[in-house]
Amino acid sequence: MNKSDAILHSRATKRPAFWARRPIGRLLTNFGVPLALLFTVALFSLLRPAAFPTWRNLDAILTLAAPLAVTALGITVVLAQGDLDLSFGSVIGLAGAVTFVALAEDRWALAWPVALLGGLLVGALAGAINGALIAYVGLAPIITTLGMSTALVGVEFLFTDQQTVYGNVPEAFTQIGRGVWLGLNVQVWLAGLVVLLMYGLMEQTELGRYFYALGGNREAAHLSGISVKAVRMTGFLISGLAGALTGVLIVAQSASSSPTAGEPYLLPALTAAFLGTSMFRQGQFNVLGTTVGVLFLGVIQTGLIMLHLSTAIINIVQGAVLVTAILVSRFGARP
Amino acid sequence: MSPPPLLDLRGLSKQYPGVLAVDNVDLQLWPGEVIGFVGKNGAGKSSVIKMLAGVVRPDAGTIMLDGHAVAPRNPHHANSLGLAFVFQESSVVPNLTVAEHVMLGLGFPRRAAALIDWRALHAQTRELLARLNAALDPAALVGHLSVAEQRLVMIARAIAQRARFLVLDEPTASLTDGEAQQLFTVVRRLSAEGVAVLYVSHRLDEIFALTSRVVVMRDGRVVAKAPTAELSRAELVAQITGVSGDRLRPRPSPPAATTELLRVENLTVPGRVEAASFTLHAGEILGIAGLVGAGRSELVRAIFGAEPGARGRIAVRGQWRSIASPRDALAAGIALLPEDRRTQGNLLNFSVRFNVTLAALSNHRHAPWLPLPSRRSEQVATQQLVERLSVRTPHVEQPVGLLSGGNQQKVVLAKWLHHGADVFLFDEPTHGIDIEARAAVYQVLEELAASGKGVIVISSEFGELAGVCHRALVLREGRMVAELAGPELSEAALVQACFGA
Repeated sequence: MNKSDAILHSRATKRPAFWARRPIGRLLTNFGVPLALLFTVALFSLLRPAAFPTWRNLDAILTLAAPLAVTALGITVVLAQGDLDLSFGSVIGLAGAVTFVALAEDRWALAWPVALLGGLLVGALAGAINGALIAYVGLAPIITTLGMSTALVGVEFLFTDQQTVYGNVPEAFTQIGRGVWLGLNVQVWLAGLVVLLMYGLMEQTELGRYFYALGGNREAAHLSGISVKAVRMTGFLISGLAGALTGVLIVAQSASSSPTAGEPYLLPALTAAFLGTSMFRQGQFNVLGTTVGVLFLGVIQTGLIMLHLSTAIINIVQGAVLVTAILVSRFGARP
Repeated sequence: MSPPPLLDLRGLSKQYPGVLAVDNVDLQLWPGEVIGFVGKNGAGKSSVIKMLAGVVRPDAGTIMLDGHAVAPRNPHHANSLGLAFVFQESSVVPNLTVAEHVMLGLGFPRRAAALIDWRALHAQTRELLARLNAALDPAALVGHLSVAEQRLVMIARAIAQRARFLVLDEPTASLTDGEAQQLFTVVRRLSAEGVAVLYVSHRLDEIFALTSRVVVMRDGRVVAKAPTAELSRAELVAQITGVSGDRLRPRPSPPAATTELLRVENLTVPGRVEAASFTLHAGEILGIAGLVGAGRSELVRAIFGAEPGARGRIAVRGQWRSIASPRDALAAGIALLPEDRRTQGNLLNFSVRFNVTLAALSNHRHAPWLPLPSRRSEQVATQQLVERLSVRTPHVEQPVGLLSGGNQQKVVLAKWLHHGADVFLFDEPTHGIDIEARAAVYQVLEELAASGKGVIVISSEFGELAGVCHRALVLREGRMVAELAGPELSEAALVQACFGA
């Protein structure tokens, strides 16, 4: 689906006569969160005119958002197919640790492309095991991925001995997390590429259609001849891969690997995906929605820190803003 | 001087964007009356019922109960006014017991403080069920009951509310004739006790058997009100459809072709179907009759590869095929229109186009090697099927969940016509859909047969099977007990074979 069609689709769920009379309602329903994002940007720009609306800050916000966007897009696939993956936080940590240990000169000292591939492979493997247990054996997604999450943390500790791992790594690798290209961090360009790929996958391919079909009605999809098991498994595989890529971005930026580096991403990624359901494809997880959700979280966080508020206030405001954003879009949907 | 009506609807209207769903409807019900409330899907019946239940507010008009104007605010308020509703898609809570379900929200009997007196609750429930002649265990889980039994639970609930007015919306959908007869007995008893019943059904036999007056709605208006005895079947059909056509059921033409399309040998679904064997020929419409639970759905699902434990052999066009999944079945040339269009046939949140092309998405690739569907090509194909089957939808991007039941069924039909197959399995294709949609379904069955396909139809309505099929198999408790064809194939013979009389 292209963008205008996505809007057409969501518009089709409402009656045209109603929209004709309530243009503001339509605007809020489809674009409530993007508008809230613009409003927030404008507000912070007014409050901190010297620091917030600058190129440097844009780069900072996008760099902060990039690793989150990658893993949030992975989880979006799993959510769209009607499943849940809670293991991606640990996948981020483990894939990062494996990549870093494989690279570090005083550890395995492998070539950086090999190490990177190894990290991604670990994520894919974790996703494949999740998928196999859930789709083929028939276990419940929540408990399976929670169990996987715990196990992966254990494996990570085997590699890192629960310590933050430092070490000399090739500059070519750290460039992935620190390099600048055309004024923006390389991570931002990579995340942008992932957004494009995932958008294409979910909106333009047969596989993407099947993910949505599974989320819509798994039984009807099965009776329509879709290989439900294979499609579900692929979803978990993508989530694992995305988590692993996020892990690689994080260690490339910090040039170190700290234990449980992935955990802080768990809730924001889920939040971004759920925020995304209020945009574009109403009520459904979708790539553009998740992306805007991630940006929204990044802007709020950076802006609030710039206002020098206490952590307590930041948490309260962050929560309130999220709920308000959803409220605004729901308000528009009310007939 | 007649007594005042129990319920008096005056000038009720409801405008939805773009459509006047209910247009100035007047309707009176007296205590003890059973009124047949009929009309096509979308004629406005459900909107009237929803206004009575307080689900939607009327734009104009009043609802008078015992001569006083009332305005139901929500279903709970409507219940407290003495109005009770048993809906078509009976919304039962499967993990509650019968007793819990009957009394939920009506105030459980209490012991000290807030503790529920289970013994009294079960006794009360047993008493209520006894009034319905229903031998149900109050402690049984509702989810384990048959659809018929679940409906009895809902009716028991209505009685527990001391309802004086009861709406039954398609209560016999998916009930067998025997179960339906039991329900009629209950309705007659309630009416004898002074309850006014608004009886909604597409099955005209029931309207004639059960009701004293008929109210027909069409395009939001009441177009006819008459004592049932004064109406002929043809007149009623004419009022419902607005056309005086008599060709609502096709007459079967004898099968000419003799190519064997499907051969089933010793098909067994453990505990459900026992060693079923039969053949289906090109151009043939084969009916499968049986009571609910006789194994009909399991039989066709097994042929379609959707019953994992099934054993037996299946040949399509003379070739033995290994069918372990619906995907295999489709590859072998077998398609199934499942029993429940809402939970098995359609993805309700998705568009007509999405649903119609789902099974044959690879037909719409930009290039044969590229698994990217072309939206344009999908829209064109869907539009053609929408026109061919007269699906009532504003456009092909409309979510299927917003269409009426008959049109939802047409979308499932369109999906399989679009995919194509040699053998089409239809499980209750006319369940709960209106006369017009039925005619469309029958026409598709005929056209498929005429074009040399094989068709298998399951139906709980034996008259329908006798009218549509060339041949019918009868299942009883998982076994094939009879095969009827030609002059032997009649409604009476099917009933007899099903009940083993």
